[in-house]
Amino acid sequence: MDILTQQLFNGLTIGSVYSLVALGLTLVYGILHIPNFAHGALYMLGAYITLTMMLLWGVHYWIAMAVSVLVVGLLGVLMDRLVFHPLRNAPPIHDKIAAIGILLFLEAFAQLIWGADYRTMETPYGQVIDIFGMTATTQRVLINIGAIAVMILLYLFLKKTYIGSTIIAMAQNREGAHLVGINTNKVAMLTFMISGGLAAIAASLSAPINLVFPGMGHLVILKAFVIIILGGMGSVPGAILGGYILGFTESLGATYISNDYKDIIAFLLLVVILSIKPKGLFSREDF
Amino acid sequence: MNYIKMSAFLMVLSVLLVMSGCIDNPSNQASSEGENQTESEAPEVEEGEEVVNIGYSGPLSGPAAYYGERTLNGLTMAVEEINNNGGFEIDGQTYKYNLVSLDDKYLPNETAANAKRLLQENDTPIIFSPHSGGIKAMQVFNEQENFLIGAYTSEPAVTEEGNTLTVRIPPSYAGYLDPFTSYAMENHGTKLAALPTASQYGKDWTEALVPYWEEQGGEVVYNSSIDFSKDTDFFTLVTNALKEEPDVLFIGGPSEPTAKVAKQARELGFEGGFIIMDQAKLDEMESVTGSYEQLEGSVGVTPLIHSDYPGTDQFIEKYKEKYGENPGSEAGYHYVAMNAFMEAMKAAGTVDDPEAIRSHMQDGLDALPEEKQVYTIEEIGENGGFSTALRIAAVEDGEVVTIDVDE
Repeated sequence: MDILTQQLFNGLTIGSVYSLVALGLTLVYGILHIPNFAHGALYMLGAYITLTMMLLWGVHYWIAMAVSVLVVGLLGVLMDRLVFHPLRNAPPIHDKIAAIGILLFLEAFAQLIWGADYRTMETPYGQVIDIFGMTATTQRVLINIGAIAVMILLYLFLKKTYIGSTIIAMAQNREGAHLVGINTNKVAMLTFMISGGLAAIAASLSAPINLVFPGMGHLVILKAFVIIILGGMGSVPGAILGGYILGFTESLGATYISNDYKDIIAFLLLVVILSIKPKGLFSREDF
Repeated sequence: MNYIKMSAFLMVLSVLLVMSGCIDNPSNQASSEGENQTESEAPEVEEGEEVVNIGYSGPLSGPAAYYGERTLNGLTMAVEEINNNGGFEIDGQTYKYNLVSLDDKYLPNETAANAKRLLQENDTPIIFSPHSGGIKAMQVFNEQENFLIGAYTSEPAVTEEGNTLTVRIPPSYAGYLDPFTSYAMENHGTKLAALPTASQYGKDWTEALVPYWEEQGGEVVYNSSIDFSKDTDFFTLVTNALKEEPDVLFIGGPSEPTAKVAKQARELGFEGGFIIMDQAKLDEMESVTGSYEQLEGSVGVTPLIHSDYPGTDQFIEKYKEKYGENPGSEAGYHYVAMNAFMEAMKAAGTVDDPEAIRSHMQDGLDALPEEKQVYTIEEIGENGGFSTALRIAAVEDGEVVTIDVDE
């Protein structure tokens, strides 16, 4: 029983990180109609910027995270303006190649600036706490609470505000949105901004339980792809649910079946879900 | 509007630029230097002096770049020192070294391609490589193409197959099984959970340790591995490993993620000891955990900064001055090996006959002056493995203590 609750908590933690990364990916999918491969690099930069702020200027963790959200968000906008916007009428393969190019560029760039070594992010929340017989650290609790708070805010923003609705409208039908007078350029930039910000939040929250290094984006990006396919490409609830499904399958699969097969179990689940619902759990229109 | 947009972009750009000057980052310098030396500068050669090219192929970009840079640093230091001292002399002819380094991204096929290129373009009698995959790839053709491999790996298989032109620089990990096992059993208990890195090297290590542990009367209660290139969080795996309440946890891989595993095991209430695979170093792990207390009861290889061979202190000082950080064993071993190869060339009386150099390796080791002995390598085995007096270290009462091992 102890092991079960502990592993459910572990699954929830890792699922929260996956969901946050997948959310950014799925939002941009609505604009680009391809998975943005460079999203993993934004995640990595998010962690580095938070870390740099903390080490270089001694800025508090939360303020450093806010700056990181802003900088990575603007970097996302820059990416859209310089690369994806000029390619909007090109065949989708061009977007894909461009996204991979950005990924490689940003990784090499991070290695040049920060070096190839592993770094640790120390936060004020390293204490070990005991909740109902489970062991956790404050940081892990923060990951869970933070992720859920961000998800609720994002949901309210998309559903209850006018600007949020324009993002949904554009994801559903770009031309239609344009016809009813939505400024699609602006919405695209806004979406990239939010997507970058989400990557930075996910990275800043999860970096203290792992390490910061130029290749850290690879840890999550492949899984985020699986999640948005599982949840339905471009669907927000799909990304959230998919993230938690993957998190729980990994932790419970590793415990009750075998650690060596935990990836196989996750991918088997993907195959099963896709053969029942070929378009994923939610379609994009559900949002 | 345009003005606002432009200023926003400029802000992002300036933040990134400010950061480039940032964080107190010693390896930054090392990393950029490593890259510049992808084709290193030729030494200053005076009239009548000749240049001998030395090849290196290792990971200088990608996830293992940090490791690659540190191995190269050791070689670079040795070569620069030899050249600054006026090179070395054989039969009245003065020679200087030129180190040519190529990036193989940790991929064996790239190592093989790099080796071919080094041979054709630079005619290198010796090629160093710091990973077993690349070494094995070169062993396919090194005897035909006639070059020596400076093999930096503790994988015993690279010297067991009878390749006559391979020199294995660090001690084989087979020697650690007995001292690690007996230390851990004496101090902690007989229940072992294995959770090393998922690399081939980690698997080979585990396959050697697990049967040995059982032979000594121990019990292996959990046996799995962590893929550091795939797992974001280790809590799940560590929870499972601790389920059976082991006395000892076998962990390993690159120092930093390994340290995270140890730290998370402590967070989950583990109180036993760690056996640490030789790839990870206690001093580098300490910089992640923050103190040795978390690593109490660990047994692993002795970090270079806690070693006391005749040339160790001098080397540490010089290395710190040049790269601004403490050297690891990979830099130290490469430094010694390069110097030993030079002495062997002198003893063999040739710079371009790999067979003769290999057969005079023992003379080279004997001739190595004390101040160059960052490690004291007593002899080279028949199969080409250096044998260093084995020393292991343990963390006791928050401090690293070294333990001598009787062979």
